[in-house]
Amino acid sequence: MSDYDFDRVNVLLAEDSPFIRSLLVNSLKVLGVGNVFAVEHGGDAIHFLQRVKNEPMRVGVQQIDIIISNWDMHPIDGMMFLRWVRRHKDSPDRFVPFMLITSYTEPERIIQAREMGVSDMLAKPFTIKHIGEKLISIIERPRQFVHTKDFFGPDRRRQKLEHAGPERRILTDKSEGVEIIRG
Amino acid sequence: MDSKKVIVRFYRFKNRLKEKTAGLAPGKTSISTDALEAAEKALNKMSEDYPDWVSGLIVKLQEQHGRCVDTPEKRHEFFEEINHIAHDMKGQGGTFGYPLITDFADSLYGFTVKKPGDISDNQIELVKSHVDSMRAVIRGRVSGDGGEIGAELAKSLEEAIKKYADK
Repeated sequence: MSDYDFDRVNVLLAEDSPFIRSLLVNSLKVLGVGNVFAVEHGGDAIHFLQRVKNEPMRVGVQQIDIIISNWDMHPIDGMMFLRWVRRHKDSPDRFVPFMLITSYTEPERIIQAREMGVSDMLAKPFTIKHIGEKLISIIERPRQFVHTKDFFGPDRRRQKLEHAGPERRILTDKSEGVEIIRG
Repeated sequence: MDSKKVIVRFYRFKNRLKEKTAGLAPGKTSISTDALEAAEKALNKMSEDYPDWVSGLIVKLQEQHGRCVDTPEKRHEFFEEINHIAHDMKGQGGTFGYPLITDFADSLYGFTVKKPGDISDNQIELVKSHVDSMRAVIRGRVSGDGGEIGAELAKSLEEAIKKYADK
């Protein structure tokens, strides 16, 4: 992990359990993350992001680089928070990497989160090693964002598999109807 | 840009986080403003609001109301669930700019708190009045205090409360 310097990374953490919250804050600090802003639920997290957008000097941070959020929280849970980040007009950064923490590991829950544009998921119970691996995956393997009429989020296709046969996909980068925004 | 023809947009930004963590190119860690503007323009069309994602909870409230009507002997159980949903909605409305939802949910929360004794038909009617009022707020996207429409909705809910609050 010595290759990475997380010192300038700003993480927003939304977790309602004080115990897990402090566990996560400490784990992130141990990994060298410079700034961890911890809040208690999705509503606080949304207020925080609005403040970062409107008064960054006061909050003391220009931009949140990674969001880590629990799923099951009240009154605003992780999915609603994710939805706000990806789709609401007031969201300061719809492309920010968003990691959901959950003990729900049923396939349908994971699909639900993926369809809402989650970047990665961290299953409970977790270890510091898991958190570090997820951080590196977010940094090393970011995916392009895809925007269609019913999906917006990181590309759901993670692997690039070589395919021996002819190209049969209907849309390629050069197709009409495909727009690529680079920056 | 003829946006009608676009079926899919791909956003390919340079890896800002990697630059930040690997200490490369200090000061050059932002996505180009042109790209961000183009992205913003396209994305604004998709922008969703709280009403788009709260309807699921309203449907759940409706279901619980239906169960209270169908299975009176289990009303306490259903009220607990209604109370739980109302509690969440109470905490959401303000954050998303729909304080009327918070007001109505607060009222619903208040009279569904666990109490001894039977739950009367009137109380079930009252649940329905609340759900209807919330649905009207969401359907009409009545944000803020809602002006005249908001005042009217609040007033008709108050009347329902007076009418049904027999005990």
